[in-house]
Amino acid sequence: MLRAAALVESHGIPTASIVASGFAQQANVLKKGLGVPLQLGVYPGAPMVDSEEVLRKKVEEELAPALTSALTHPSEEGVAAEEEPAPGTIVFTGTFDEIQEHFLAKQWSDGLPIVPPTRERTDRFLAFTDRDPDEVLRAVPPEGREVSILCIAIAGVMAGCRPEYMPVLVAAVEAMCDPRFRIEDAGSTPGWEPLVIVSGPIAETLGFNSGQSAMRVGRQANTSIGRFIRLFLRNICGYRIPPGAGDKGGIAMTFNVALAENETFTRSLGWSTYGEDRGFKTGENAVTMMSVVAISPPTYSAGDRAETHLAHWADVFGATCRYWCHTGFKRGVWHLLIVASPSIAQVIAAEWPKDEVRRYLHQHMPVTVERATHYAQMTSTPTFDLSRLVHEGILPAHYAASDDPQRSVPMIIDPAMVDLLVAGDPGRNQSRAYMNNHMQGPPVSRRVTLPGRWKEMLDAAGNSVT
Amino acid sequence: MKATESVLWPLARRAARTRALAARLPDLNGKTIAELWDVIFRGETIYPLVREHIRKRFPGVKFVDYTHFGNFYGAREEANIGERLPDQLREHGADAVIVGIGA
Repeated sequence: MLRAAALVESHGIPTASIVASGFAQQANVLKKGLGVPLQLGVYPGAPMVDSEEVLRKKVEEELAPALTSALTHPSEEGVAAEEEPAPGTIVFTGTFDEIQEHFLAKQWSDGLPIVPPTRERTDRFLAFTDRDPDEVLRAVPPEGREVSILCIAIAGVMAGCRPEYMPVLVAAVEAMCDPRFRIEDAGSTPGWEPLVIVSGPIAETLGFNSGQSAMRVGRQANTSIGRFIRLFLRNICGYRIPPGAGDKGGIAMTFNVALAENETFTRSLGWSTYGEDRGFKTGENAVTMMSVVAISPPTYSAGDRAETHLAHWADVFGATCRYWCHTGFKRGVWHLLIVASPSIAQVIAAEWPKDEVRRYLHQHMPVTVERATHYAQMTSTPTFDLSRLVHEGILPAHYAASDDPQRSVPMIIDPAMVDLLVAGDPGRNQSRAYMNNHMQGPPVSRRVTLPGRWKEMLDAAGNSVT
Repeated sequence: MKATESVLWPLARRAARTRALAARLPDLNGKTIAELWDVIFRGETIYPLVREHIRKRFPGVKFVDYTHFGNFYGAREEANIGERLPDQLREHGADAVIVGIGA
């Protein structure tokens, strides 16, 4: 919202922005990041839970006078940031314990011990990319900092990654820096967390776990890369939880360990791999980033026919996702990633190609218009109206086919928004669905670029599965 | 004696250069205020109350309500606050803008 205000101010037009008091600190971080001392009118408390009477009183007595003042009186406020070190500067010398305390005090740590980012350790990461350490990918909100190859390496060291993970880290950050990913929304109140999905032979080379407990902390590649993402969001973007201020996750969720597919098994089924579905050739290494705002229960399904499993998926995943579908309707995009264990994938793939699975779920996960509207009204949008969204071209015409509030519409807007990936325990018939947060963090992929001397360097690094 | 290590600054350079705000408008009489709304958090109730408050103090003020601009956040964001917005504001003669709601 403040980005829109900054745009208007840049055209010489004064603005006043409405924020609820719970967002004021985050707004101040963003103002500094934008470099513009935007003027605010603050609504005390949360407007979604106030009575009409209370809301009127708060607007009349506090918000409206503040907005009027913001438009009529110049601000004395400045947004100049304090002096900071240059990138690559040594900022502290101490013992391991002293470094931990220093990083905690500066809010540079995620609360766990970090690997001290010495120059030597950082250089070992930089050796695994041919990119210039000073290369800047873009400036990222809310603090408006420049993402460089150097800062990626430093965050990788701190997270406990191995130097040879660097090509994956760079690809993951490049994907998050793609404007389609909307990293500017990574601190929004739903508290979603990016998921790193690694495709191609590099997953095996680096020792990713795609089998039993694939999404559990415990394997270095999966775990440390997941932690790297959170540290990157915290230190480079500026999404810090209290006593920091950039992260506005309401309850939020912690980092996801990185996910890799059991590609050998997937191919044996005659299905394309997830990486191939994302447009990469067999043998190409790629990273896909997507937001995850909720995960289904571990979903067990039995039977030797495809439709038995899919009907169960539609039932359980539909129940899990139903409440949040209105957020996708408002933006016209909402992705669901289904991670199926090999035994279930085998039964389904014996009868149906992936596109048939997508079509089935699109057709068999309905929600009534009355429920979707109710969910939107509960969350943030009292004026939610499917007809308006169709009129604006955000949803297909069939979402406004009648005025009957009890009619059903598909939760999944388009079959192409269902993704499938095979991973997990081959010995158990379990699946899970990972729900994306609509246009905030849709799947965005990047090819992994290896350094020229990759094989020799990898041998020298002595990579082993740990 | 315990070994010590020297560590690098783990953040990154700030890109933003500080910019000044546009000049304020001490008297809103005769001025036009445009509204931008992201269609959440009860703006349909809040904006009319804000209008009422400002009109009481500046009877000559005019408003161009949020329905003229579309949702500036979301699926049509690029279209609604991209290159089009400055032209739209000029077309409506906007002298000031209220933007809401959230952060």
